[in-house]
Amino acid sequence: MNTSLIRVSVWIYLAIFFAYLLGPLVIMSATAFNSPAFPSATPWECLTFDWFSALFQDARILNGIKNSLIIGAGTVVLSVLMGLAGALLLTQIWPKLRATYYTIIIAPILIPGVVLGISTLVFWDRVNRMLGLGPDSALSSGLFLTVIGQSTFIASYCMLVLVARLQRYDVALTEAALDLGATHAQAFRKVLLPFMRPAIASSAVLAFLASFENYNTTTFTFGEYPTLTIELAQKVRYGISPAISSLAFIIVVLTVFAALANEALIRRRELVAAARRKATVAELTGGLKLPGFLSGNTAAVLLVVMGIGTVVVLGTAATYRPDQCIADVREQKRLEAEKRAEELRARRDAERKEKTTAEPAAPAPSAGAGNNSGSFGNVFNPGTLQDGATTPAPDAQGSTGSGGNSGFGGVFDPNALQGSGN
Amino acid sequence: MPRFLKDFLNRNGTGPGLVMLGLVLFWTVGLIILPQLSMLDFSFRPNLPPPEMGGPKDVYTLENYKYLVYGPEGGSQAYNAVDLMVFFRTLVAAVCVTVFNLVLCYPIAYYLGQTKGNHIRVLALMLIIPYWINEILRAFALRIIFGETGVLNTILTGAGLFDTPFDFIRNDYALYAGLGYAYILLMIFPIYNVIESLDHNQIEAARDLGAPWWRIHWRVVIPYAKPGISSGCTMVFMLSAGALAAPQILGGPSSLWFTQLIYQQFNDSSDWPQGAAYAVVLLVTCVLLVLGAMRLFKVNMGDIGK
Repeated sequence: MNTSLIRVSVWIYLAIFFAYLLGPLVIMSATAFNSPAFPSATPWECLTFDWFSALFQDARILNGIKNSLIIGAGTVVLSVLMGLAGALLLTQIWPKLRATYYTIIIAPILIPGVVLGISTLVFWDRVNRMLGLGPDSALSSGLFLTVIGQSTFIASYCMLVLVARLQRYDVALTEAALDLGATHAQAFRKVLLPFMRPAIASSAVLAFLASFENYNTTTFTFGEYPTLTIELAQKVRYGISPAISSLAFIIVVLTVFAALANEALIRRRELVAAARRKATVAELTGGLKLPGFLSGNTAAVLLVVMGIGTVVVLGTAATYRPDQCIADVREQKRLEAEKRAEELRARRDAERKEKTTAEPAAPAPSAGAGNNSGSFGNVFNPGTLQDGATTPAPDAQGSTGSGGNSGFGGVFDPNALQGSGN
Repeated sequence: MPRFLKDFLNRNGTGPGLVMLGLVLFWTVGLIILPQLSMLDFSFRPNLPPPEMGGPKDVYTLENYKYLVYGPEGGSQAYNAVDLMVFFRTLVAAVCVTVFNLVLCYPIAYYLGQTKGNHIRVLALMLIIPYWINEILRAFALRIIFGETGVLNTILTGAGLFDTPFDFIRNDYALYAGLGYAYILLMIFPIYNVIESLDHNQIEAARDLGAPWWRIHWRVVIPYAKPGISSGCTMVFMLSAGALAAPQILGGPSSLWFTQLIYQQFNDSSDWPQGAAYAVVLLVTCVLLVLGAMRLFKVNMGDIGK
């Protein structure tokens, strides 16, 4: 009876949910191509690619990327090694100890990153002092501390991924290798490691991503080596620019590319496997004709479409010049601002006339006096106009255009124009 | 040499076994246990310049913890109202964010876990993609939307709902939306993992026996999904209480998050012991709250993190 109603409401819920999830990213990506210096998607002014070149000229961002890559590599090595050792030990440890051991190695996931950063900083500072090393030793360098601090909890993620695979490992395989005369090291390297390789690869990717985007721990330990995330946070906190949006857009596109490529590969493998299963013996011996890369593979088709789209966008960016459009918008804004200023002036003139007729005996105030009672000198003094508290009469009229500060100062503020909905 | 150690080395070979033990010891003792103990120890010490450390003045004291409760000595107020307010506000807000995320994510996790079809893979992919974007950039995206001249205000004033732009950031709506947004995936995946393994026949059986949909969830799905729900809630609560980036970017100028106080003590006033004490308080309180909630809802510790 009401199954269709339920289905419709499920789809509406899904739509709202994914709008909440993806909408911010889409809007942020859009702001990377809009020309106002304050990142905004509305009003749309001009299509521009300048924010991308601004991004690639930013030395701090580039330096941050370099530091992030170094720290990411260190963290991947250290946390995959520790995670693997931790996972192997977990399957072998004395059963009575297992619960305690598991709690200890899983705890870093739940400890707030801020606490991990602080404890790393405090502990290694103390070790450094105990060893009698100076403040510029390797143990107190930002690179070392950040790798150590991040690995503390990233190793737990790696351990979880590796344990899941290790539980499906048959110990008899290692035993067979040992019976056949392999040494322990050989059995480990030639039997166990190849079995673990997919899990090691995925834990390495996970570790790198986690390291790359970590903020809470790194913010206490980075020292002289700010990572990309730290640089971004500094920029976002003290004045935001569409250049950040353009970086976000690049990351979004790379992510989607990676996800689609991964999907396409998985689907391709499935299709090939299915074709092999269906093939006759003759076909198998006589060279099997495998399905094409794009056939029946939506992800691959999307991947190719996206690739073409990227090339087209890059081509446009190389030739497109938005100067005319930006000049137009600037001209339009200037005209509007002038118009507004004109209106303001007219209204103020009218007001002044009213006042002079109402109180003809008003004394002419000295030039420096803050209170305005309708003298010309004060009205055209920009300082008086901007100072809203001391000029009540013009302020009341001036606030039609801008939010906070009044008079001409506010009219030329681009934000004020945006706020008034043009 | 103890017997289990000898067994262990026999089983893995002396070389690999020792390397393994060394790595695990470095991780558990050197990276997890000792730093935490060191932070605890540090939080009981006065703030001294480096040359005086270990000197006669370096004694254990409760001063840093007293500061959180009573404020500076000889201060005008009886209690450190500002910091305590921030502390409780952080905890209450983290609980609210957790509940909000649970309510938002449970239907999605249930739908993803119990529906078959190709579109589920697409939806799962769309869930994961935002999670790969940097935490800072996600907060930045929300700031663009919630800003005074942002998209939301443009739409709302354009539609005539508000006359003047509403300041979402000063009123902390942006912060709560940002925290919820940041940890959606950590709520969905544990619940999804559990619900996916629930046999659909059980739901069918309950339906055949005449249970309305809400009772099916209350008596069949939720009890089954409890481990997933509890680990999702634990993760989201701990992460939002310990969040630093979202409050720094999306928080109003007048309202602070507790982690921001810690950050200030380390970076602005360089009072490390004080910061360490606050961090200990945060950690202990959060762990106690989680354990209390687990006892209240009768969840085992072993179920978390699966």
